[in-house]
Amino acid sequence: MTLKRCLKAGLSGLFLAVAALQPGQAQVPGVTADTIKIGSFGALTGPGYLYGKLPMNGIEVVFDQVNAAGGINGRKLELVREDDRCDPAAAIGAVKKLIHEEKVFAIIGGGCSNATVAARETLAEAKIPVIIMASVHDGITTPVAPTIFSTALTSSLESAAMLQFALDQGAKRIAVISMRDAWGRSRYTPLMEAFQKKGIKPVLDEEMAPDANDATAQVLRLKGANADAVLVVLYPKPAAIFMRDAQKLGFKPLAVGQSGIADPAAFEDQVGSPGATASFRTISMVRYTPEDPAVDKWRKAIEAKFPGDRLSVFNLFGIGSAQVMVEGLKRAGPDLTREKLVAALNGLKDFQTDVYPGGITCVETDHRCNKSPAWIAKEPGKPVRVLGVTKVE
Amino acid sequence: MELLVYLLLSGLTTGSLYALIALGIVVVNKATAVINFAHGELFMFSGFVAWMLHVQMGVPYLPSLLAAVAFGFLLGAATDLIAFRPLKNANIISLVLATIGIAFMLRGTARVIWGGKGDYLPFPPITSPEPIMIGGIMVIPQQLAVLAGSIVIMVAFAAFFRLTRAGKMMQATADNAKAATLAGIRVDRIYMLSFGTGAAIAGAAAALMAPLTLLYPDMGFSFFIKGFAAAVLGGLTSLPGAVLGGISIGIVEALAGGYLHSSFIEVSAFIVIMFVLVVRPTGLLGSTRFRRV
Repeated sequence: MTLKRCLKAGLSGLFLAVAALQPGQAQVPGVTADTIKIGSFGALTGPGYLYGKLPMNGIEVVFDQVNAAGGINGRKLELVREDDRCDPAAAIGAVKKLIHEEKVFAIIGGGCSNATVAARETLAEAKIPVIIMASVHDGITTPVAPTIFSTALTSSLESAAMLQFALDQGAKRIAVISMRDAWGRSRYTPLMEAFQKKGIKPVLDEEMAPDANDATAQVLRLKGANADAVLVVLYPKPAAIFMRDAQKLGFKPLAVGQSGIADPAAFEDQVGSPGATASFRTISMVRYTPEDPAVDKWRKAIEAKFPGDRLSVFNLFGIGSAQVMVEGLKRAGPDLTREKLVAALNGLKDFQTDVYPGGITCVETDHRCNKSPAWIAKEPGKPVRVLGVTKVE
Repeated sequence: MELLVYLLLSGLTTGSLYALIALGIVVVNKATAVINFAHGELFMFSGFVAWMLHVQMGVPYLPSLLAAVAFGFLLGAATDLIAFRPLKNANIISLVLATIGIAFMLRGTARVIWGGKGDYLPFPPITSPEPIMIGGIMVIPQQLAVLAGSIVIMVAFAAFFRLTRAGKMMQATADNAKAATLAGIRVDRIYMLSFGTGAAIAGAAAALMAPLTLLYPDMGFSFFIKGFAAAVLGGLTSLPGAVLGGISIGIVEALAGGYLHSSFIEVSAFIVIMFVLVVRPTGLLGSTRFRRV
């Protein structure tokens, strides 16, 4: 054997020995000795950016704080963002890119429900751990996909909570006004089931188009039916038109919204008619308003990282889901694998975050980990306040 | 009776806005025999210009409305230059696709410029938001302002067509482009004027509509569909027909929603259109001459 051949054999052996020393890390996508790559998808552009870009900003400030404290088991967190523009086809493309090109370890994402529902199959097939941050469609978490968890509320939970809240407030004649597109139906159907379970029939069941500019007909019909509470399954735009016309026609029921109208202060501006939102209550996924001193730490972090931005509830969605992911990663331990992360997430029981109204509990048979909607309201001229929490079983 | 009055008032207000959008569609179609599928986006873009001036820069409402009209005109003229003039001898599919392309470009641009400032942007009311009582009926002054504004614009537009030289040349070109050319009318300019005028009316409609609704970059198509339906109902070539079609659709929607069920609001107008077109294929006031679209 010549010297050259000896050297070659020696180097090859050395290479194999080094490779053999790190078998686990080399095979786990998105994980190196000092980093963990986490992907996120949602709308970064277009009107749905509230449910995409803003939660992602929240995730990023959580990651920054974790990294500043030394990371998780010595690994820093990296966030990779993909824009799905709230478009189902774009969402499928975005998650494929994250999984196959960016090779992320796990995902925190999902803004618009229709886009996330479309991406569910791709995510489930890839067996990548996912935490849904904002999408509420039941089809994302039901039936259970072993690696897909949600810290967002789901539409059926919210629908049940809406009816429960109206009853708790003493409403006797409850009506519904809803959109019947895919988003609306994902809430309307479980709402009707909730009515049925309680043995109640809505006094009136009205529809409104997402682009409607007038709700005179609906308001007059609801007023004629003497509804004392109206469950509002509408986007902010038609809901604003409805509330404005209700005030115009002297109809002042308890109006119960959902997390699609998550910012009562912005909603008051959109309605634009003083006092029209005085009896409007809505669901928040988080227990604090952005002005609450309890979230000062996060306000400062958002404003420092994204100059010009104000802390919003949508940032808080991302902060909560990122804290759950961080906890899962910690519990999964230093020899990180996707299976260990999934097992760790399945073991979360009443885990408290800085933002969610109740503890986060995930079990193998139910990945709807957040079941505590908070109720918020804004009286004219006053700040948004949290009224209470409904625990949905 | 009270219910009927409320529904008629609401239908009239919404219908007058549909009529303005329909007018813009008909003006372009009359002159060029093309449906401008970017009309809804021209409407949307002009609305955002009014919002930017009035809300962001603090310009008073009336100058903001006039600026939206002027901007709409320029945008319409640009549509002619980009999408119509280079393709005017191409087949109709190419022309339609070109206007659809313009629509997507405008929507994308609006998303970039205004899409990140809130999901739906409010436009402050130009009158007191408090309802007032007129003969026992509660009315939002804003609705009356929109109704009055729409009527003023329709009258001004009719006067422009009947009394001005440019309006007469547009009518002549619409009636017979070849004869107009022989008479010395530069029809290319008239086409541009038609696109510009149509979009200017859309700009006025957008500035009037903005305080009654909320602005968002994807709003154009739904308004276009209603305006187009009104134009078809009126006859596609008839300006009074566009007004009649718009107001009819607004009132039919309101009555169907009030007396039948709110689920009929969106479909009622189209059911009426279907029946009208079966009985009278040229629409309520349309002519029978051949159209390219």
